[in-house]
Order: sequence, then C-alpha cells, then structure tokens
Amino acid sequence: MVNFTVDEIREHMDKKKNIRNMSVIAHVDHGKSTLTDSLVSKAGIIASAKAGETRFTDTRKDEQERCITIKSTAISLFYELPEKDLCHITQPREEGCASFLINLIDSPGHVDFSSEVTAALRVTDGALVVVDCASGVCVQTETVLRQAIAERIRPVLFMNKFDKALGTLKLSSEDLYQTFCRIVENVNVIIATYGEDGGPMGEIMVDPAKGTVGFGSGLHGWAFTLKQFAEIYATRFQIEERKLMKRLWGDQFYDGKAKKWSKEKTKTSQRGFVQFILDPIYKVFEYTMNKPKEEALALVEKLGIKLTNEDKENYEKQLMKVVFRKWLPAGDALLQMITIHLPSPVTAQKYRMEMLYEGPHDDEAAVAIKNCDSKGPLMMYVSKMVPTSDKGRFYAFGRVFAGTVATGQKARIMGPKYVPGKKEDLFVKSIQRTILMMGRYIESIDDVPCGNVCGLVGADQYILKTGTITTLETAHNLKVMKFSVSPVVRVAVECKHPSDLPKLVEGLKRLSKSDPLVQCSIEESGEHIVAGAGELHLEICLKDLEEDHACIPLKISEPVVSYRETVSEESSITCLSKSPNKHNRLFFRAVPMPDGLAEDIDSGEVNTKQDGKERARYLAEKYGYDPNETRKIWCFGPEGTGPNIVVDCTKGVQYLNEIKDSVVAGFQWASKEGVLCEENLRGCRYNVLDVELHADAIHRGGGQIIPTTRRVLYAASLTASPKLMEPVYLVEIQCPEAAIGGVYSVLNKKRGVVFEENQVVGTPMFQIKAHLPVNESFGFTSTLRANTGGQAFPQCVFDHWQQLPGDPYEPTSRPGVVIAAARKRKGLKEGIPPLENFYDKL
Amino acid sequence: MLYFIGLGLGDAEDITLKGLKIVKNASRVYLEAYTSILGVGKDALEELYGREVILADRDLVEQESEEIMEGALSEDIAFLVVGDPFGATTHTDLLLRAKERGIDVKVIHNASIMNAIGCCGLQLYNFGETVSIVFWTDSWQPESFYDKIAKNRQNDMHTLCLLDIKVKEQSIENLMKGRKIYEPPRYMTVNQAAEQLMQVVQRKREQKLPLDMDESTVCVGVARVGSDDQAIKAGTLEEMTAVDLGGPLHSMVIAAKTLHPLEIDMLECFANDPSVLKEKPT
Repeated sequence: MVNFTVDEIREHMDKKKNIRNMSVIAHVDHGKSTLTDSLVSKAGIIASAKAGETRFTDTRKDEQERCITIKSTAISLFYELPEKDLCHITQPREEGCASFLINLIDSPGHVDFSSEVTAALRVTDGALVVVDCASGVCVQTETVLRQAIAERIRPVLFMNKFDKALGTLKLSSEDLYQTFCRIVENVNVIIATYGEDGGPMGEIMVDPAKGTVGFGSGLHGWAFTLKQFAEIYATRFQIEERKLMKRLWGDQFYDGKAKKWSKEKTKTSQRGFVQFILDPIYKVFEYTMNKPKEEALALVEKLGIKLTNEDKENYEKQLMKVVFRKWLPAGDALLQMITIHLPSPVTAQKYRMEMLYEGPHDDEAAVAIKNCDSKGPLMMYVSKMVPTSDKGRFYAFGRVFAGTVATGQKARIMGPKYVPGKKEDLFVKSIQRTILMMGRYIESIDDVPCGNVCGLVGADQYILKTGTITTLETAHNLKVMKFSVSPVVRVAVECKHPSDLPKLVEGLKRLSKSDPLVQCSIEESGEHIVAGAGELHLEICLKDLEEDHACIPLKISEPVVSYRETVSEESSITCLSKSPNKHNRLFFRAVPMPDGLAEDIDSGEVNTKQDGKERARYLAEKYGYDPNETRKIWCFGPEGTGPNIVVDCTKGVQYLNEIKDSVVAGFQWASKEGVLCEENLRGCRYNVLDVELHADAIHRGGGQIIPTTRRVLYAASLTASPKLMEPVYLVEIQCPEAAIGGVYSVLNKKRGVVFEENQVVGTPMFQIKAHLPVNESFGFTSTLRANTGGQAFPQCVFDHWQQLPGDPYEPTSRPGVVIAAARKRKGLKEGIPPLENFYDKL
Repeated sequence: MLYFIGLGLGDAEDITLKGLKIVKNASRVYLEAYTSILGVGKDALEELYGREVILADRDLVEQESEEIMEGALSEDIAFLVVGDPFGATTHTDLLLRAKERGIDVKVIHNASIMNAIGCCGLQLYNFGETVSIVFWTDSWQPESFYDKIAKNRQNDMHTLCLLDIKVKEQSIENLMKGRKIYEPPRYMTVNQAAEQLMQVVQRKREQKLPLDMDESTVCVGVARVGSDDQAIKAGTLEEMTAVDLGGPLHSMVIAAKTLHPLEIDMLECFANDPSVLKEKPT
C-alpha cells in the first residue's frame, strides 16, 4: 500500500519549507528501528499491521539476525498535517500546503558504528533522539546527541518502551513521572553542556510542555506528546491547547473538587500529568490486560476509540496493543512532532552554512547554501557510499545544499584533499543518474533540488568515501566530517591462496568505500591492514570483506591496537642535524604539550585554519604559551591536522621561509612514523631554535632539508624521554547487583579502572563506568558474560589516550614489549635506533 | 693522497695535462656527476684515460664518503669534478672530512662557468654575487635569488645565474618511503629561468615595491659554454623567455645598469635587436 509516487515526491521537493530532513539517533537497543517502522507504516510503504515486527530499515541479513542496525538507511515519507495544527509551526512554511516530505535516516546505535551516525547527521537538520525510559540516558545517547549539537542539528526527544515501564517495572504513576523528568533533565544537561549559549539555533532544550518530547512504545506502535492530550481536554477545560500543555507537565496540580490549578500539591489535588495522562493510560492498560473483556470494551468505547469487530476478537496483550494503537497512533504523534518542531532546510541552512562550508562565507556558493537556493550553483555533500546489487559498485548518497542535481549534468566531483584552484582530487564528469533511496528500494528521478537527500549512480568511481559535488568552478569543499570514534583496532588480513591476492586488494578497496570509518592500508612489510573502531566493527567489516567484497577465504591475524608515540620531558640538549651536503644545520628541541592541548587539536578547537592571532590568544590564555611564539606555529601533523606542532622560535634568520615547506614535509613524515616504532606521534611540540643555511637556494632544497628535519626531530624525541600512549575505552556496564562482583574481578584482570558506580534509579540495575585499555578489550564481552552468568552488558566507546607506564628502553617493560613486537611486525631493525643516527656533532 | 681534479667545461679533452697524469696513475677515479654535466658520457672519459671511472652520485659523495676516501692514506685517489673543483661549494665538506682523517689533499684547477662566462663580453671584474635559480614547485617558490640580483644591480654589477639541474632526485613521496626511485633528470633552460624572474618582477610590482629590474633589463643567455656548439644570445629579459639555445647546460647573466661601451659592442654580436641593449635610465 504505497500512498505516494515518485512524481508526487518530486513535486514536493520544490516546496522546501515543507521538507524535514531528520535522523533517528539513540543508544543501542533503545528501539530506533522499531520506532522508525511505525513511522514508515504511517507513511504507508508497509502495511500498518506489520509495524513493530519487521524492521524495515534493517536491510542486511546480519542486521535482521543480530537485531542491530549496522548501516544507516534513508527513506522518504509523506505526511499531511491536520489544517488546525498548522498554526503550531513557528518557522516559515509553504502557503496553502499542509503536506510534508520527510527524509528520515535511521542510524545504528552501537558505538562501533558511530561513524554512520556522523554521516547521517551531516545530511539532516533535525534529530529524533530515542531514549529507553527504563534504562535512561546512556553513553551512546550522550555521544550522538553531542555530535548532533555540534553539527547544529535540532533535537526532539522520544521516550520509548513505555510498555516495559507499565508491564515489567510496574512503576507507580508518580514514580514514572519522576523517571521521565529525570531523563528530560539529563538530556537537557547534555544539550546545555555542548550547545552554544545564544547560538543561532535559539532555544534547543527539549520541553514536554512545548511538545518537543514524545512518549510511547515503538514496539506496540503507540505514542503521544502532551499536545495529543491537550487536544482531548481542551474542550472540557475551555482553555487553549497551548496553555493547557503547560499545565500537563511539571509542578502543576489540579484540584478536581475546587476545579482549580495550583503550583503546590494539596491533599485533594493531583499532578496534571499524572491525573490526565498517566491515570487514563494505566487504566486502559489495567482494563485490557486484567479485567473482563466487557468492562475493557466499555472503557474503550467511553474513550471514543473505535475498534473493528476483528480487533475486538483479541484478548489481553493483543487487545491492549490494538487499543493503544487505535487510541494513540504512533505515526500521527511522531510525525506531528517532527513537522512542527524540526527545522526545514530553509530554516536550518541559514545557520548551518558556516559550519558546513570551508570557503569564504560570502561567496556565491555560501550564499546559495544559506538561502537554500535551487537556482544557485549546485553544492552537494556525499556523506556515504551505499552498496548496490551490482557487486563492487556503490550509490553515492548525500544531501543537496544548493542548486539542483540532475541526471546527465556536468559537475565537479571534489574529494577531501581538493584545494580550490588546483587539480588534485578533482574530477569533472557527468552525473550518470540521480536516484531516490527508500529503505530497500531505489527509484530513478530526473533531478533533485536543494534541501533534499538523494543518491547518485556512477560517482563511486571518483569518490573514495565522501566528497563535494558542485557546478561552481570557484567553490570550496563542504567540510569533511569529524568522527567521534577513531580506528584504533587493526588486524592484518591475508588470503589463504596466494593467487587470490588481486581479489583481496580489490575487496579492500570496496570495503574502504562502503564504510565511512574503516581504514585499509599496506604496511612496509607488505601486510594488508584493516583498522576499525572496535571488535564488533572489525568483525562486521571482515565478514563483509570475506563474503561480499573479496569473496575469497581469508586468514586474519590477532587484533592489534594502534599506539601513539609522545615525549614526557623537554629535550635534555638542543639537537643538531646537518643536511647531507653539510651546509645546512637545523637546531630543534622537543617539548611535551600541556594536558588537554592534544584533545583540543583533535576536536578542532585549535586548528590550522584558525586566525593566527586568535589561536595564539587561546593558547596563551589556556596553556600559558608565549603568544609571540605561537603566532608562528608552522604546522600541525601528521596529515596536516594531527595533535603535534612545529613552532618557529628563531630570531632573525634570513630565508627561513624558503625552507619552511621542506621542514613541514619532514615533520609530516616524522610525526606519522615516530622514532620508537613508527607509530603516529601525539602531544609533541617541536621548537625550531636556530638554523644555519647555505647562501644559495639550490643547496637548501627539499632533498637536503626534508630528511634532515626528520633526523633532527627524531633526535629531539629521543632526548626528551620518549613514551608510548595507548588508547583507552570508556566502558559502561549495566548489571544486577549480584553480578557486580564478577564485573569487578574481570575489570581488575584487564587493567580496568572503575570510576563510577550507581544504581539506575527506579530499577534494580546497577551502572558501572570504567576505563579499559583497548588492548585488553579483546574478548572482554565474552569473558564478562561468562563471569556474570550472562547478566552484564558492556558498551565500549573510545575515550582517550593514556601513557603506557614503563621505560620503553627496558625490553621487558610493557612499552618495551609493544615496541619490539611492532618493530618486528613492520620489518624494522631490532631495538630503538640510537641517538647517534640522528644527532650530528658540531 | 686525494686529488680534486677539475675537468673543464667542454668535452673529455679539456682536462689539464697535470690532471690527466694523475688520473692515469691513481688507484681509483671517481666522477662526480650531479652538480654539473659534461658534454660527453662516462665512456668517452674512460676511453681517453684508458681506465675505469666510477660514477659518484649525490648519495655516495654526501653519505658514503668513507668509501671514496678508503685507502687514500697510502694510495692516490682522484675525484673528478666538471668545471673547477670549487666552482660549487658542495665539495668543501669532502675536503674537510679528508683533512680530518689526515689525508693529504691536492687540487688541480680548471676552467669553470665562473670565469668562462667572460665569453659573453661582460667583464669579469664587474660581476657581483653569483646566484642559483631553482625549479619552482607549486608550493615552493623561493625568491631570494631576486634579492641578490637586485643588490648587484644597485651596486651596478652583473649577476651570473646558475640554473638548477635535477639529476637523480627523488620525489618527496619516494624519499619518505625510502625508495630509490629517481625522477628523470631535468635541466633548467634560460627560458624557464627568465619566466620565473618575470613572475617575481610581476609580484613585486603588484606589491608596489621598488623594482631594480624589469622585463626590459638586458640579459645574456649562454648554453654549453666551452664546447664546440656553444650558444650565446643577448637581449631583454622578456626576449630571454623565447630564445632557443638548444640542449643543456644553460646559464644566464643579468647585466648591470650601466654597460661599458666595449661590453655593448660585444653584446651586439649576440643580439637580435641591438637597440634594446641601451637601457633607458630608470
């Protein structure tokens, strides 16, 4: 039963003010996909009766088997908002049009797949944050919400699994209200922490009284916001809906006898929310589940719920479900909340442009994005690649931010390394075909105007993972996404039959395309490395590689963790290295960065594109860096953005700027492959103290300076007490009290450190938070289950880097062992190279 | 004993008699082959000397000089350099290292572009500091050579510009990966050098800086000086972007502001349009 056609959708795509692009985000198992299905059922792609049973958006077989979402999926929905509700929309809307086009992206909840969430958020303007009201705000809820706010995505909240609270937990109505209250508060604390005060989005906190919070059960297909109940009672109380909504939340008590509202609870009064919302729900629940059917049906009739004869045949649970679904249909409540409170592209792009566009904020492309102008130059961001049924080919999925993308149109396809005016990472090609992507199905469409999401056929040949597509020659890139997780776990893969090697290489290419985060690389030793966010992520990637991308049997090594190299003291001496022709001398020292600076660089708080003076001020205020020096930060690295810097501390050296480029290149090299075991550097600041250069430019070219820079940086690191850093997970474990002992003993064995333990209010469950080295996390989940009788469930999310204690020069110390193993794996000479290799005497 | 022997500019036969004698008797002979090139190949030298010659590339000279000096305490080793041994400064280091090890060092001089440039008619006494003009890349475009030319011009002196040669250079990527894959050799032509200079002039003009030279400044382009087919052309900087001087090696001179009448007479022999030689006073 499809109630919309491609033509209808296309027609609607031009009504930009009536479009909502949104993602559904949540912690794993909080019921996103199931909830999404109830939305899909409302929009009519699958029959209403099936909602809650088929997970429409989980398109992969393993997703359906594991009951988790792995890849985000997009679908377009159609919704007609009742005429009388149009007045609730405060942003501009299309005159005389009450129907809305909703592009919805269902994203995975498991932390290992957070990169999918990032990709989903980029192309949407609003987010439906789903929280399981029985377990509350969890670690991943916070992660995704934080990302959403950073991308300027407006959130609305949905409290899911109401049925569980009624049926299993059997909370009293006041307790349930308190639970809801706490969740709303927790969510708002996160929003307040990461949101901008007085930012261009305005107020983004969620508030049930404003209708930005929904309640219900995705599984049973029912939901409501306070607006639904206010509608019911509005006539009875003779107050406006909007005013009544305020009465239905918070400390608002109604005295039935005196017919009066007050802010204080008295003996005869009761909380509005409890009296008018929870009590009726509890009653319906009680009657349908436990009372004789006649009484139940009588109540149903009284409430004005119309059941078919067929519906009336049901008993208990089935009856309860059907009654609730008829009474408070989830689709209506949610779609109303979405259309009324989430922003249209026209509204959102006004304030999102500056977060999205790398170029000047007043050029042609920026203005077209800001105005969401479909007549302007095309600006489209491809956020992910979706595999097609044709093996090895992908649809490029993304959002059109300005202009119109059309089949056959000639466009510039720009990768993340594209620099305006240069030819690197740029292709000028025709768009083969534009398509609409709807869950499992795709439909061809002639063109797609800005404010919409769509797929492109054929662009996968030119785009690696993400990219910008434009028609404007001077356009800059749309900003590359920043992921909240990093690929810290890696394995080496080999094919079982050497003759399969070409297939493996091709398969790795495809794998790298199909996942936003995974990194495939080749080591010096010739090993093929696949790096992912965690065990589960890697497992899925490798399974895909073996079964879909390469289709050959694979041998997979034990997982290995990525380490970082750092320094812990200032270099004990000023290090000198001479260029091969001996005419150029570089003098450097290494200094560890103060705590927090590396993280600031990771998050982009301190970055290379910032204004030099502004950055110097920030560094001076927060870290006490001398502004005269930090104004001369030459570069970040590795990859030009990493958490290490080179600072020019020289005084009056002639022609220094002519070797700067070579020093930067040498630094990128040295910061990518550190001196200890060729791992990336982290948290190192290198000061250029002095240089002596040959008088003539020809004798101080890259060939002389680049290798010398690397050598002097190595010498500086070796004299600055080098150390290793290892990645650490934040692990959140939920378990009953009886299992706590088991959890602690496993954590102890795995070098885990517990820093928080508390009972989840209103439940017998305990929540334990600990830091766990990633290196110890392999098999952690299964060991934990075994030690707690399967009662403890961990969620690991990458948290920070921490120094690995011990002397790297001691072969039996932890870092010593790691270095020896890494050097062996990479085919390097045994032992850390001696200082003499890099340090030249005067 | 370690001998540094200049080979002169043109072909194999430009070596001095003294040098040739040493080469014939030395136990090993190295030919430095990266700061300049000789008009003829290594085989021509071997044929003339009647002995084997070892090619010494940049890596060998700069990083493995031990190998060159091996046995020099007791035997004679010859190190052949195109032009004069100290024409370019790069070999000072090798000499210093030899001295450090107590090896006796002797230098046999020869003609170099530094003095042979007199062939173009500009008097050697009037030359200022010599500069090299390097190949620009997208991100590395040093302009310091212009500053030196400007300073020479202010002092009313000519400037000899040595043009970049890239032999056995690795790309940055290969350098980082430690792969010994070398880019094809490249030699800068007078056209390219003039082109880069014009760009610098243009940039300075845009920045509204005072100019010490411009497109009409008199220049001399020379090629393969000392060989039978040497070529010399005089004209303005702008003309230099289009002259055809044939194969490598090229050098260029930026003339001083004022020229001696004899200098003008000489340059006229090489100019397409002698009228441009009389520079308007600026």
